[in-house]
Amino acid sequence: MQVIIQSALLQGLVYAFMVLGVFITFRVLDFPDLTVDGSLPLGAAVTAALIAGGQSPVLATAAGVLAGLCAGVVTGFLHLLLKSGDSDATNYGPKLLAGILTMTALYTVNLRIMGKSNTPLLGVQVIFDKIGALFSLSMVAWNLIIALAALAVAVKYLLDWLLHTEFGLCLQATGDNESMIRAMGTNTNITRIVGLGIANAMVALSGSLVAQQQGFADVGMGIGTIVAGLAGVIMGEVLFGVRSISWVLFSVIGGSIVYRLLIAVSLRFGIAPTDLKLLTAVLVVVALSVPTVRRKVMHS
Amino acid sequence: MSASAPLELIGIRKVFFPGTANEVVALDGVDLGVPAGQFVSIIGSNGSGKSTLLNAVAGTFPVTSGRVVLGGRDVTRQPDYVRSRSMGRVFQDPRAGTAPDMTIEENLALSLLRTKRSGLRLGVTNRRRAVMREQLSRLGMGLEERLKAGVSKLSGGQRQAMSLLMATIAEPSLLLLDEHTAALDPKVAQTIMELTGEIVAERQLTTLMVTHNMELALRYGDRLLMMHAGRVVLDLSRELKQELQVSDLIEKFHEVAGEAFAVDRLLLDT
Repeated sequence: MQVIIQSALLQGLVYAFMVLGVFITFRVLDFPDLTVDGSLPLGAAVTAALIAGGQSPVLATAAGVLAGLCAGVVTGFLHLLLKSGDSDATNYGPKLLAGILTMTALYTVNLRIMGKSNTPLLGVQVIFDKIGALFSLSMVAWNLIIALAALAVAVKYLLDWLLHTEFGLCLQATGDNESMIRAMGTNTNITRIVGLGIANAMVALSGSLVAQQQGFADVGMGIGTIVAGLAGVIMGEVLFGVRSISWVLFSVIGGSIVYRLLIAVSLRFGIAPTDLKLLTAVLVVVALSVPTVRRKVMHS
Repeated sequence: MSASAPLELIGIRKVFFPGTANEVVALDGVDLGVPAGQFVSIIGSNGSGKSTLLNAVAGTFPVTSGRVVLGGRDVTRQPDYVRSRSMGRVFQDPRAGTAPDMTIEENLALSLLRTKRSGLRLGVTNRRRAVMREQLSRLGMGLEERLKAGVSKLSGGQRQAMSLLMATIAEPSLLLLDEHTAALDPKVAQTIMELTGEIVAERQLTTLMVTHNMELALRYGDRLLMMHAGRVVLDLSRELKQELQVSDLIEKFHEVAGEAFAVDRLLLDT
């Protein structure tokens, strides 16, 4: 049991940054961004290639995050190109297509970066070793979990602050009522592009940390990221509530952990790893229907 | 018209779907100069082009031909979000003017930022809160005690009052009101309209108000424009419009438009 909980916490925390990124696009910007399936392995590929090439893991992680930021910005520009003049904020076609295009292109980019489909990171120093050396601790088991939790909380507060700055309020309003914030003098094309950049930077951070934690980067590791991200966001919202932005940022981190816990338990009970994607999709559907069912029950 | 007039429209034409079977000439050569501090009411039947006129001023779409000049500057090619830095706007739909998932104070902070570049300073500060409380208290709705409440929890009237406040709080050089009381119940509509009159008079805002309601158009404003088929067909000064009744206005309309008028719609709206 302890192994399951430990593994769920570990997985939940390394993927929490991705879930926060998906929260920013999906909820804050009202932009269902499929770039994440490509930007997660992008973060992993850049980091792994740099570490394997002898670079410092801190620099390699930062480069991975930066690459994710660029991927988000590319999606933002593609969206601008695809929607050309259409000011209907609820038209999701161009948003979906922009993400799909970037995601598809990133598959090639990721292969090119690594030069092969898989880059192992065995017997090399990763960022966790660097952090551990700082505190003279070995980064295994609970130490690693605590370090990741601290990082997640730090990133949560950073995001919380950002979303409440003047720029952050404009970012929130871009997803909430675009024509209104344009009427307040904000160029929503810019806020959306920056928002997509920040979100994909977070997703790439997850990818980078996942690669360093599991000891390899793989070109296929991003498949289903958007659905896993949604699962984390929706389960967090349903289980822990949405009373304010500050609160919901914690909720989705919790959602990420609960989701990985469910996965770990499923694996324990003999579900094949190849069946997990179907299971995840079902989980998302169930979590999505909870509010509807709850309303129906209360009205009957 | 002096060069510094807040608004000048020169030969504005707007054709929707040009070259197709659905081609519509929504504005057919509108010339209009509005001096500083003037409150202009614009009436007209459905499809007369009155809302299109506001959209042309706001830059919602590019005009087909003609020029839009704001405060002496040609803004015809300026995108909407740039123009709106000096322009406040309230729409018919109370949901259009506020961000529902954000709090009252966050919405108002956005409106206070209209004229500034938004940076990485905190959006809601105590100094801004003081301004918000003071401004909200004049609405007489108790909203100043609910700064942290979500806007989606407010009634239509409360949201429209907030929209009005948000449109005027940063002292715009032009205020556009697009049938902003039409979707409210009569009592609330009256409250919002009285508030509009007060704010406009107090800050001497240059205002364009589009309305279906002839009585409102007669009671409020220094000038009355009637639109028909994309043109301004009647332009009355304050002195002239003061002597008019709704029935006179309908008669005037028959004179200039020369066709059956959607009288029922206009009367029912009063």
